[in-house]
Amino acid sequence: MKRPPEDRGGELRALFFESANELLQSLNEAGLELESRPSDEQVIRRVRRAVHTLKGDSAACGFHKLSELAHELEDVLTPQVAEACGGELAELVLAAADSFGAMLAAYQRNVDPPAVEALHALIKRLLEVPASPENSPVVVVQLPAQFAWTEYEQLMISEAVHRGEAVYNIALRIDPDSLMRAAAFQLIRNVLHGSGTVIALRPEDNLAAASVEIVEAALASSQSVERLKQRCRIPSIVSDVRIEFAATAETSEHELLGDVLEAQAANFVAGAAENGLATKASTPGSAAAAVSEATLRVEATRIDAVMNLVGELIIGKSMLNRTLSEFDQKHARDPLRAKLADAMAFQARILDELHKCVLKIRMVPVEQLFRRFPRVVRDVAKQCGKDVALEVSGQNTDLDKSILDALAEPLMHIVRNSVDHGIEPADERLTAGKPARGTIYLNAYHQGTQVVIEVRDDGRGIDLARLRARAVETKLLKPEEAQRLSEQDALNLIFESGLSTASEVTEVSGRGIGMDVVRTVLDRLKGTVQVSSKKGQGSTFQLRAPLTLASIQTLLFRVGGRLFAVPLSSVVEISRIADHEIHRVDQREVLRLRDQILTLVRLDELSRLRSIDTQPVKKKHFVVVIGAAEKRFGLLVDSLVGEEELVIKALPAEIISSDLVSGASILGDGTVVLILNVPAVLSRLSRANPLGAIA
Amino acid sequence: MEKDLHIVGFRIGNETYGVRIGSVREIVRVPEITSVPSAPDLIEGVINLRGKIIPVMDLRKRFGQTEIISDKKNRILVVELENKLIGLIVNAASEVLKIPPSEVDSPGSVFAEGESSYVTGVGKLKGRLIILLDIAKLLQHPEYKRLEEAAEPVVTAK
Repeated sequence: MKRPPEDRGGELRALFFESANELLQSLNEAGLELESRPSDEQVIRRVRRAVHTLKGDSAACGFHKLSELAHELEDVLTPQVAEACGGELAELVLAAADSFGAMLAAYQRNVDPPAVEALHALIKRLLEVPASPENSPVVVVQLPAQFAWTEYEQLMISEAVHRGEAVYNIALRIDPDSLMRAAAFQLIRNVLHGSGTVIALRPEDNLAAASVEIVEAALASSQSVERLKQRCRIPSIVSDVRIEFAATAETSEHELLGDVLEAQAANFVAGAAENGLATKASTPGSAAAAVSEATLRVEATRIDAVMNLVGELIIGKSMLNRTLSEFDQKHARDPLRAKLADAMAFQARILDELHKCVLKIRMVPVEQLFRRFPRVVRDVAKQCGKDVALEVSGQNTDLDKSILDALAEPLMHIVRNSVDHGIEPADERLTAGKPARGTIYLNAYHQGTQVVIEVRDDGRGIDLARLRARAVETKLLKPEEAQRLSEQDALNLIFESGLSTASEVTEVSGRGIGMDVVRTVLDRLKGTVQVSSKKGQGSTFQLRAPLTLASIQTLLFRVGGRLFAVPLSSVVEISRIADHEIHRVDQREVLRLRDQILTLVRLDELSRLRSIDTQPVKKKHFVVVIGAAEKRFGLLVDSLVGEEELVIKALPAEIISSDLVSGASILGDGTVVLILNVPAVLSRLSRANPLGAIA
Repeated sequence: MEKDLHIVGFRIGNETYGVRIGSVREIVRVPEITSVPSAPDLIEGVINLRGKIIPVMDLRKRFGQTEIISDKKNRILVVELENKLIGLIVNAASEVLKIPPSEVDSPGSVFAEGESSYVTGVGKLKGRLIILLDIAKLLQHPEYKRLEEAAEPVVTAK
């Protein structure tokens, strides 16, 4: 075999890893389904296909241990074994998914894959079980069928599969005792046409049927295998029936992947499409099949590059606009002016479209994140010996891929915590008059320019007294401070590091790390996390993050002659106040706004910035009321500049190391504007004054 | 014969310093600098370098100049550090100097220890002494870290 050049091989392997991870995901999903319906043939078939695809792909990439394991596993994945061993097959599938995952990780790091003896043993054991006669009631007679469809027919089949239809290969043996073969064939034909769309049929006409014994057909049908079997078993005409899912699309894709390796044909994109196809074809039951197959896998960095360029273009547009208005003033009568303005309006419109399109590329449905949680909940629940169901909604909510990735960890912590601490053991639930099985709800939806992800449980709720006590024990607060905290502030204690109310440290959670990660990550994303809880009824965590990190709507203002911006989403209101409305309470400036007392923040004092403004001190001030999570404060500003959509550029954190600023942007005239980090301002306030003193 | 060292020379106070030409990306005039609240003292702020936002450090302060006089000769050396750009304000910079390696002395015992390990040598050119610097070491210096911590603010109660 010709060795492909290194880069081609590497590219293929990269493709393989990506598609393999999707296969693992579908294995996990199928494993969970098997747990609830141990002998569901469709699910078993799906698992088989996933394993089969994995086998072929890994062999093509030279990962032999993996393909051997997949091969062994394939043998066990039959309805007979499932029937014989019940729930154990689900266990096997999940264990296999884990082993495959470990092997893939090892291959990816270029080290030898770990030994999987335990899994081998399990496979062997399961294979031996069905040998006992009472467990194998049906002896399946394999009909010698090839299903050798022509290229055109194969295409039709794979198209039907991609449309989400179930396509079966059906083989029927015409009863040897039947005398009128042509008539029998006609009858079979009628039955087939009556049960779905016949894509292919052998033999093709009645005449040829006279000499054959076996009829083969490819049928797209919405009926179940059982039902089809019944219909096809025409007494005294058909003696044997064999029905299986048409696997044409999948096998041909395999060969393709192999061919590519050998012939070095097909470029990156085509390869990517192929791979996407293979995955989708192999999971017709899952949501993935519903997605159009015209999907490309593109490296995220390429999209980021485009994104950056579009950002620069937007800055360029504002530069042009400024130049045009200067030109306007100098040559108001020049006829060229109108032409220029037209051309620029046209360009601006297209640029706007382009910007939106690029933003959309980065958006992915939150389903990608949610789908790993059924497995997480199952595992954690099993570990703590609880019965927990997971209900997911809002999977189609879109958000930026990088935000989605960043949310994975915090969400994991919250869900694990909810299962471990939130949901009570079954007996406790029954005593409280709740169903024994606890439920965790995952939900996502858009709100303005933010995405909200909710984790709700119907467990025992958060024990506030215990939280306060822990805060005192860990010396985070003095006893009197702990008692003074409002309920909400006390709840927020769970995000402090080192604080855990778990009475004992379990493997799952309780070491007090974790929940502070949640807040750290959301601060970084310029998002917020809120928690609410009712004793005995459960808790809700709400994570809010911007839809995209690339650009935000901001409010521009000046303090001490310097320009700043805050995300518009955090601005609650803008008010104008006079000097005498500012009061001093407890060495702190406050402002009474209607029925609320607000802490006033002067940015120049908070940050020791020298004022470069020479304007006389005014009697009237603007106050921008800013809110993050439940907290509010008033920011005293000299003047408001306006709203602007800013393309955010990160500041090199290790050099600037200022938590007050979360990023910067460049305006049309080249001015650099800094974006204020609202959570950091808040935490400074609370550091200056102990927890909870902010209105 | 050994190749001459190509050095970008710049002035801070009365001294001439030099860094290897390879470590300098470009030299620009000082544009408007946007100061960043509660950034380390040495960080003057950020500038817009053709659409990129880069931090700027005042090398004059770093070298202990107390009186900073800004004039038209001031320049920013843009250097690359771990794939990130950073600007350094100097009194003046223009010349590219070629120094034969034989004319470079080791930093000597004065500089060898502690603080000044970022001095890689002292070059002699036409009677002038040029202090050669290792930019990466200069910017990694612990003093820089310490300043960061010192930047921790206290909210003044009014």
